[in-house]
Amino acid sequence: MSLRLEELRKHYGTTRAVDGVSLELGERETLALLGPSGCGKSTLLRLAAGLEAPDGGRVTLNGADITALPPQRRRFGMVFQDYALFPHLDVARNIAFGLVELGWAREEQRRRVEELLELVGLSGLERRRVQQLSGGQQQRVALARALAPRPEVLLLDEPLSNLDQTLREALKEELHGLLSSLPVRAVYVTHDQSEAFAIARRVAIMRAGRITQAGTREDVLERPRSGWLARFLGHRNLFAGGDLAVVPTAPRGDTVLLRADLTSLLPAGAAAAAGAAEGAAVTRARVRRARREGLRWRLELDLPEWKLELAWEGYARELAEPPGEGAELLLRVPADAWLALEEP
Amino acid sequence: MRPSWLSTVLGVAASAFLAVFFLLPLVVILGRSFHGAGALARVASNPFYWQRLGFTTGQALLSTVLTVALGLPGALLFARYAFFGKRVLNAAFTIPFVMPTVVAGIGFLALFGPRGLLGLDLRNTLWLVLLAHVFYNYAIVVRVVGGFLEGAAPRLLEAASTLGAGAWRATLRVSLPLAWPALLAAATLVFLFCFTSFGVILILAPTPRLATLEVEIYQLTAHLLELGQAAVLALAQLLVVSAVTLLYTRMQARLSLPLPARAEALPRPRGGARAVLGLNLVVAAALILTPLLALAFRALQGPGGRFPSLANLRIAAHPSAVIGFASLGLALRNSLLFATSSTVVALLIGFAFAYAVARGRWRVLDQISLLPLATSPITLGFGYLLAFPVLVAHPWGIPLAHALIAFPFVARSLLPALRGLDPAHGAAAATLGAGPWHTLWRVELPQLGPALLTAASFAFAVSMGEFGATLLLVRPEYATLPVAIYDRLGRPGAQHYGAAMALALVLMLVTGAVMTLLQRRGRSEF
Repeated sequence: MSLRLEELRKHYGTTRAVDGVSLELGERETLALLGPSGCGKSTLLRLAAGLEAPDGGRVTLNGADITALPPQRRRFGMVFQDYALFPHLDVARNIAFGLVELGWAREEQRRRVEELLELVGLSGLERRRVQQLSGGQQQRVALARALAPRPEVLLLDEPLSNLDQTLREALKEELHGLLSSLPVRAVYVTHDQSEAFAIARRVAIMRAGRITQAGTREDVLERPRSGWLARFLGHRNLFAGGDLAVVPTAPRGDTVLLRADLTSLLPAGAAAAAGAAEGAAVTRARVRRARREGLRWRLELDLPEWKLELAWEGYARELAEPPGEGAELLLRVPADAWLALEEP
Repeated sequence: MRPSWLSTVLGVAASAFLAVFFLLPLVVILGRSFHGAGALARVASNPFYWQRLGFTTGQALLSTVLTVALGLPGALLFARYAFFGKRVLNAAFTIPFVMPTVVAGIGFLALFGPRGLLGLDLRNTLWLVLLAHVFYNYAIVVRVVGGFLEGAAPRLLEAASTLGAGAWRATLRVSLPLAWPALLAAATLVFLFCFTSFGVILILAPTPRLATLEVEIYQLTAHLLELGQAAVLALAQLLVVSAVTLLYTRMQARLSLPLPARAEALPRPRGGARAVLGLNLVVAAALILTPLLALAFRALQGPGGRFPSLANLRIAAHPSAVIGFASLGLALRNSLLFATSSTVVALLIGFAFAYAVARGRWRVLDQISLLPLATSPITLGFGYLLAFPVLVAHPWGIPLAHALIAFPFVARSLLPALRGLDPAHGAAAATLGAGPWHTLWRVELPQLGPALLTAASFAFAVSMGEFGATLLLVRPEYATLPVAIYDRLGRPGAQHYGAAMALALVLMLVTGAVMTLLQRRGRSEF
């Protein structure tokens, strides 16, 4: 029982917006589709919804091929980036739009609308015009409207991107709670990784029309397969294998990632043995530049023994005094902070 | 931003012009209808005039219903789909809108007239009048309604489809309710144009049975010299027109329903929609192009049916010995002269107006900018004759009247462009030491180029084609092309008929050439 996208392809002119993408979505599962703007993730979503016809590949739902089915017969709910609320209808009529198409009785419609308004926390706003709602409220109405006909799949296209930062944080939590409590499978498209990882347990990363990696969020976060993905996720310490010849604990490989978030800084006087337990290496580090960002430090370190430069971020709790520029410290690098990547 | 002295000066100038050359003539008409030998009572007690009012309203309503019935499917499909040749068609749809009434009238005459190509003489029937009115106004419905929907509808229709509504259901539940105010506004505009229809009636249905109020006012003024009764009729017409215009302005305000306007890529039509769209486009293209092609064919047809032949053009160009016949050269010269001068006047006034409204506190002006559009040319020309008796001997009333008739088009082209200018530019110029005058000259005018061209082309086309007011104000030596065409048409004989066709062809080509040259890039707001 699942939604399957098989080898989907879509091109516009010579641009391959979606270039052979396969994905599977199980019962009650939420998948985040994460990628930079222009990577084809919205097009993929529109192919799944039936708003675009693919140039190749299939869409199947519970084993049935629905590639040729028009969107109105798929029963996929969709939340649009700009919400696309109907300006001539009030909140209740917007939410009931799909129920009317299904031929629900008036009383049932009213009950369902009430239920959904309660779910998204907008009870009492039935008769409000949609133009009078705030951005966050419009977003909730759009979600309620998509959920009302009990869709097979819920598709969300950057639903939070038009909201301000604070609201986005709050709604992120709310959406996560809602999606995991409802018996609906969902595909959540976003370019914001904090959104993707907060909302979905499974994440697929898209780049230039292809899925570069898909898996649980831990998988993707801790074991990026390529240098591009590592950089996209915010890792900054990527090295060519040749540069690591003098580093005893580094793995062999063309592209190697050092996860600075797993390393720690120690005062210069600390006993080397204390840090070097369990296969960790300890090396000298000189602070070249230090910048404070709130409680955290952003440091550029020179590692003279390893002939490397390292970008380091963290609280530096182990240090007795702030790491000023020119300070001599020790860096403790556990063995699992090194990761040999499969692709550059 | 604080209103500048420049906006005040321009606002005063525009108001003064409108007061003297628009309001004053109307006031004089008003005065004339209430004094004198009981003209009001004589008109009110004459059932003939009530009948005319009834007919005028009836034919306008019928024309409106027909135009909307034909234009609405076109507008919905235009807003919904992308298809090959859409841009060309969009441009073609504006042809009737800018083509002189006389040209359209002659075109339909060439098809359905006594010597019509189709061998079916519909002259002096209501059918032909309705057909010409649909020809004229189809574009208004498609442009106003289609343009309104195109901004927002695609995304909303997608939303509807994911909620289970197919093409027909989505049209019924989303497009139509959304388009409703735009549709009403377009219908009002169509009604206004048909209610004051003049040239079409005079050429296609000169029988008293089918005379509109506008035609009646003309007859009373020009032929019967019953100025008092004409004034009463003009007043009655003005009342109806003002009421409808007020309604239209109200709807314009509702049109600003905040639709998220963003350029969306439109899908291509599939299946049934494709067939409907194709059929609609074929009908529309036939409606627009056949009369014009028939006109061109007839104009270039020589004696004995030879084609192509320049015989008709030669007759038209020959300086006629008969008084009241302007030759092609003279009429063309007059038309170009009036068109150029009225374009200059219309641009000056229109710009002063738009600047005052956009930059200063002249909201009231904004409200009345559409009024000249609704005021009929005959009423205006008649008002000029009453208010400025000197015009009987002088030609300058013609370009002034043309400028006023073109004014709403000019204002509505310039206003959105001026409003669209980034106010930060003005502020930046001010901090760099430029006063309002220098800001206008060095920053704003250069950015208004396309809008000014659009406005100029509209004004030029309006003046080239203007018929009613010119007919009232003209003297033989100042006959314009439309007047010369009408003169020829009024005489019996194949020779004159051919010459009228030839003159109409020239008028059509000149208007078309000017519109093409002054490329329309901006968008006007009606």
